[in-house]
Amino acid sequence: MPPNAIRKLAPALARHAAALALAFVFLVPLAWIVAASLRQPGLPPPRTIQWLPNPPSWANYLAIFNFPSVPLARYALNSLVVASAAVVLTAVTASWTGLAMALAPARWQARLVMFSIALLLVPAGALWLPRFVLFTWLHLIDSYGALLAPALMGSSPLFVLLFYWTYRRLPAELFESAQLDGAGLLTLWWRLALPLSTATLVAVGILTFLLYWSDFVNPLLFLKTPDLYTLPIGISQLKAMDRNNWPLLLAAAVFMTAPTVALFLVVQRFFLGENKLHL
Amino acid sequence: MLAHTPRRLATLALALVLVAGCAPTPTAAPAAAEVSWMVLGDPAETKSFQAVAAAFEALHPGTTVTVITLASEEDEYFTRLGADLAAGTPADVVYMDYRDAGRYYANGAFQSISAQLAASDMIAAGDFYPQALNAFQWEGEQMCIPINISSLVTYYNKDLFDAAGLAYPADDWTWEDLLTTAQALTQDTDGDGVVDQFGLGTAAQLIRVLPFIWQNGGDFVNAAGDALVVDTPQALEALQFFVDLQAKHHVVPGRVEETAQGSQARFENGTLGLFFQSRRVTTAFRSLTAFDWDVAPLPGQAQSATILHSDGLCIPTDAAHPDLAWDLIAFANSVQGQQIMSTTGRTVPSNRGVAESEYFLDPNAKPAHSQVWIDVIPGIRPAPVLREWEEIAEHADEEIERAFYGDGSAEEALQAIIQYAGPRLDE
Amino acid sequence: MSASSPRTPTQPAVTAQRWQRQQQAALIGLLLPYVLGALVLVVIPGVLALGLSFSYFDGLSAPSWWGLRNYRMFFIDPLERIAVANSLYFTLLAVPLRVLGALGLALLLRRPGRGVGLYRAAVYLPTVIPDVAYALIWLWVFNPLFGPLNLLLGVLGLPQPAWLADAATAKLVFVFMSLFQIGEGFVVLLAGLQTIPADYADAATVDGAGPVSFFRYITLPLLAPWLILLTVRDLIWSFQYTFTPSLLMTQGDPYHATLFLPLLSFEETFANLRFGMGAAILVVMFACSFALVLAFYAVVRRWTRADAA
Repeated sequence: MPPNAIRKLAPALARHAAALALAFVFLVPLAWIVAASLRQPGLPPPRTIQWLPNPPSWANYLAIFNFPSVPLARYALNSLVVASAAVVLTAVTASWTGLAMALAPARWQARLVMFSIALLLVPAGALWLPRFVLFTWLHLIDSYGALLAPALMGSSPLFVLLFYWTYRRLPAELFESAQLDGAGLLTLWWRLALPLSTATLVAVGILTFLLYWSDFVNPLLFLKTPDLYTLPIGISQLKAMDRNNWPLLLAAAVFMTAPTVALFLVVQRFFLGENKLHL
Repeated sequence: MLAHTPRRLATLALALVLVAGCAPTPTAAPAAAEVSWMVLGDPAETKSFQAVAAAFEALHPGTTVTVITLASEEDEYFTRLGADLAAGTPADVVYMDYRDAGRYYANGAFQSISAQLAASDMIAAGDFYPQALNAFQWEGEQMCIPINISSLVTYYNKDLFDAAGLAYPADDWTWEDLLTTAQALTQDTDGDGVVDQFGLGTAAQLIRVLPFIWQNGGDFVNAAGDALVVDTPQALEALQFFVDLQAKHHVVPGRVEETAQGSQARFENGTLGLFFQSRRVTTAFRSLTAFDWDVAPLPGQAQSATILHSDGLCIPTDAAHPDLAWDLIAFANSVQGQQIMSTTGRTVPSNRGVAESEYFLDPNAKPAHSQVWIDVIPGIRPAPVLREWEEIAEHADEEIERAFYGDGSAEEALQAIIQYAGPRLDE
Repeated sequence: MSASSPRTPTQPAVTAQRWQRQQQAALIGLLLPYVLGALVLVVIPGVLALGLSFSYFDGLSAPSWWGLRNYRMFFIDPLERIAVANSLYFTLLAVPLRVLGALGLALLLRRPGRGVGLYRAAVYLPTVIPDVAYALIWLWVFNPLFGPLNLLLGVLGLPQPAWLADAATAKLVFVFMSLFQIGEGFVVLLAGLQTIPADYADAATVDGAGPVSFFRYITLPLLAPWLILLTVRDLIWSFQYTFTPSLLMTQGDPYHATLFLPLLSFEETFANLRFGMGAAILVVMFACSFALVLAFYAVVRRWTRADAA
């Protein structure tokens, strides 16, 4: 091979090698725990790395649903309901807030950005107890209202800012001409802004789903009826009941993770660029 | 001016909290009576509580008992309880370990039930073992009714004893016997140079050390509970013995081994000879089929002694339905209620009649020597019931752990405990 | 009559003015849920927490004014100081590594090519794992005797630290865990890189600029807003991140090596029923993150000014 060609190929090859190594490193913990969850129940812990147990057993995945006082399937359904509602609410409120911010006069934009960043500074932990008192007063305790209240304000200032950044990068004439044609703000949002920000929508959608699917402390504090509990509470109850049964606990962890991974794989082409993972 | 502003702001904030706390909660329509019961426990225990609730509902038609079972993890339980108390909406009946109750007594979170107990025709003080009943008293008042009188005993793996040719622990075995037995059972079973079978498993905690201190003639606090008396050679000797089990003789798993796989899991896997624990693990161990096991009292020294493990049912001061709460508590601790609760095997009933009957001493249920829990009752002593026991125990546990895993000496640990606990005994 | 509003033949001046006011009202209408919601759900609770931090409140009796006593604990009680040190250690180690890692990954994987989708998906994947499951995963991987990491190290003949059982290595586990979740930052920077128009790159190569100077003078400044957003967010987030892992994995052990500020606050509030102290710890957390953000901002200002000069 002529030396010039090698010099041209070498950086590309190096890049691919590095990327491959990194991908492996990032994926290996998941591979390990899937393998660990397939270990037959009742065996002592393994003495060597098991890339795949021999023979693999799905027994743990059945066992995690067999705790009468921890109805994991029910909890998973509850988590799904809460997370889905939150995604819809958040997509709507965060995007229209971001749009309003982007269309506001420059001075107000700066103030709102500062406001949002200041909000981000408040530690989540500071909010638990005062929110608990507030929700008690509003009779929202033991209902999903307490869990979904943040979704009415975009769930996180970060999501609002993401939309804000996205809409600011769009050419101003786009909005101006539409406004001149008599379009109201909501029409602008629905017809113009949303379709042009699908990548951000998807990103915010996934991040919101993940946020609510894995939320642990808020359900712990705000929910009282076992019928309403969500999946993270169930998993920690399992951990309390059988803390050394790693194959079982990891099966529960995989069960909890699978929907988010599946969701991610389905929509990742929207925001990982043109060369998506072809499935 | 500046000095006043923060105060005003804070006062406003406090006012908001107070207002929120005093906000009227919806009063239930008097049509159906209801009472809520917050419990902590593993699935078997929870089921037994629900059975008690169902039996109570059957006896009181029109009454609904809501059993709240959020957590089988202690931390979450107290998180929820703390939040509920702050909001003024606690359950009507609360399950509480006597060791954790001190702080709640001192803050007035629970109400006294002395009057109800004296007036009740369902239960009477004489029905219960005094060792358990007295552990739930505060400033002369009865605060909760104990549902069990468990204590620390020694579980042992009979198969491992047989394999090593050892005699099972006798009722009067000593510290020396414990050490030699544990040493004989600590082995490297597969010849790879790493110990994989240990003789003894125990948590490195103050409540495990206290029995040893008592057995050696020492004590932790005086009778009045207002002064530390643990700075004695007997107490140090006891602590030294306990700590040496790991730090010197290595018959107990070290820190790394314990982190990788806890002692209880090791016992369940058949790689642990002796295990110090209360009745709470009996239900889990009953499902073990790989080997035979039984229980024996703790080893003794100058005297025999063990530490009380007891949970009770209490009524928060802010409970919405205190009268029904008492009825539920009385029923749960009556002969019938305690019979239901003892079917799980999780409790050593505090009601004498039930404890000394076949409900607890079922010859067909393991362990074969459940009688041990009854026999040791005369020697049962409670951990001190103090307002700050939680923090004292936490700090003491750390110091004991440090010495246990070889990162400090027993004297240092004892002095650190004294330094921390001394100023906190202000009753 | 409004002279400044745009006038088209179809809009007489009066309706233009009304229309502009309508627009303003609509803007305010869209912003209201956010601002109100933030006030009710964040600002007021934050103020309440601040007030609580100056009080003694055990949830059972009314709060009583305590002034600075809770804050004085930070100078007396070693636990509070340990927690601050631990949290700062984590932040100062994890945040630069995370931002640089995300930047490196974004630069490496920005170009379309064979398999790039797979690499990007792989990098992002650990981020979608829920916190509770994530903690369990690493609790298992870092198990000192049976976890795959130490088994692997053993096979390679490398030393096998006790990880979470050893005060010296325990914090590193948390840093390590946080590094696996740079997918979010990676995606943000990727999006930022993709807004750099292609003709910039073309123009630069025409001018003979090498890849390093291209990065320094074109990519970096254009990427700056995203990098700054990412760093600021990470600085703030890093103080709160450790809560779920430390609660589920170590509860602060061994010997408080993994006692971080949020865990301490949680314990003080719900385990020790000292709501005032718990709130004070949160205020300190807020102050620390605020201070770090300000310091970061000052450094960035200096750099951009130096660049301009």
